Amino acid sequence: MSASPATPSSAMRRAWMAVLAHTPRADLEAALSHALEGVSPPEFDWLRPPETGLAMVRGRIGGSGDAFNLGEATVTRATLRLRSAAEHAPVGVACHLGRDRRRAELAALADALLQLPEQHAHLHGQLIEPLAAQLAAQRTARRDEAASTRVEFFTMVRGD
Amino acid sequence: MDNLTKNAMNPSQIALSTLAPGFTDPVHDTQAVFRTLLDTLSRPGTVGVVEHVLPASQATGTHRWHADLAALAALLTLCDYSTPVWLAQPDAALASALRFHTGAPLVDDVHDAAFAYIHDAALLPEFEHFSLGAAETPEHSVTLLIRVDALSGGPQIVLSGPGIERTTTISPVGLPEHFWRERASLAPLFPCGIDCYLVCGSTLIGLPRTTQAKVN
Repeated sequence: MSASPATPSSAMRRAWMAVLAHTPRADLEAALSHALEGVSPPEFDWLRPPETGLAMVRGRIGGSGDAFNLGEATVTRATLRLRSAAEHAPVGVACHLGRDRRRAELAALADALLQLPEQHAHLHGQLIEPLAAQLAAQRTARRDEAASTRVEFFTMVRGD
Repeated sequence: MDNLTKNAMNPSQIALSTLAPGFTDPVHDTQAVFRTLLDTLSRPGTVGVVEHVLPASQATGTHRWHADLAALAALLTLCDYSTPVWLAQPDAALASALRFHTGAPLVDDVHDAAFAYIHDAALLPEFEHFSLGAAETPEHSVTLLIRVDALSGGPQIVLSGPGIERTTTISPVGLPEHFWRERASLAPLFPCGIDCYLVCGSTLIGLPRTTQAKVN
């Protein structure tokens, strides 16, 4: 959460959390129930039940210059911990734009499950990779759509 | 095991895997606790009870903090990112819970603290080290939460002042003798001063800066 050194696992976790944060609720619900293959999700305790609040979005023009307040965005976040007998029960964290509490719950649950070593490979293949591919396809489609309308301006050299 | 060593080595990391949950219903629970805190501070000497706000049974794998329930509930209610907290005795579980649930920064310097929790009253620092506020900003003083062994059964203290019709008597156990002496020495500095809560289990007594205490 805070500025911890980026170990390979934390970089990976950041990547899958980004995928979960960008996935709409319906897709997430379907993908998670498909990945769990009918097994009911494990029990968990809320450390922070889903809550909606405002976050100040800050920006810099051109990536440099002084940061300014761009505006406030509605975000929903949640933190849960799986109930397990192990000393270190995995903790799932989720945060996304909007006010969908169920979506935060699903994303936090998926984040926690992905940290279980015995489930990681299966879930990553069944859940994260399809969702990531879907997101990438959407982005490419949008980029292509925008690119097709690109207009290049140039001035003809007038001969004289 | 990997996480354990990492957390032990890096105290700035919140130990999430052993963190205890906060209020189950944050809005209403904090309102109820705030009401209790306000009532006990406006009627010095009355005993306030903090009940049914934090989960009684702890989830598995949770590290229990040592702090008493009332102190913890008060800190979770009053603290936010703008109120630095000073813990007189290190308590990793309490520190993690405060940082996670309230976002309050933990400070090493007593003078910077807006709230201080003293688990062992015998180790209470001298009052001059705390922030007393300034004449223009008396609200910038510290509020102390001092854990005592019991709220009755100790030496009798007669209280008088605003919020008390004539006098009222309390008898907390476990406060050092210099507490009352140093507290009395702050009285001429009003409006600056220090507000205290004496905490024991789920009960607490408020001692605002305006209350005069006489040790019998």
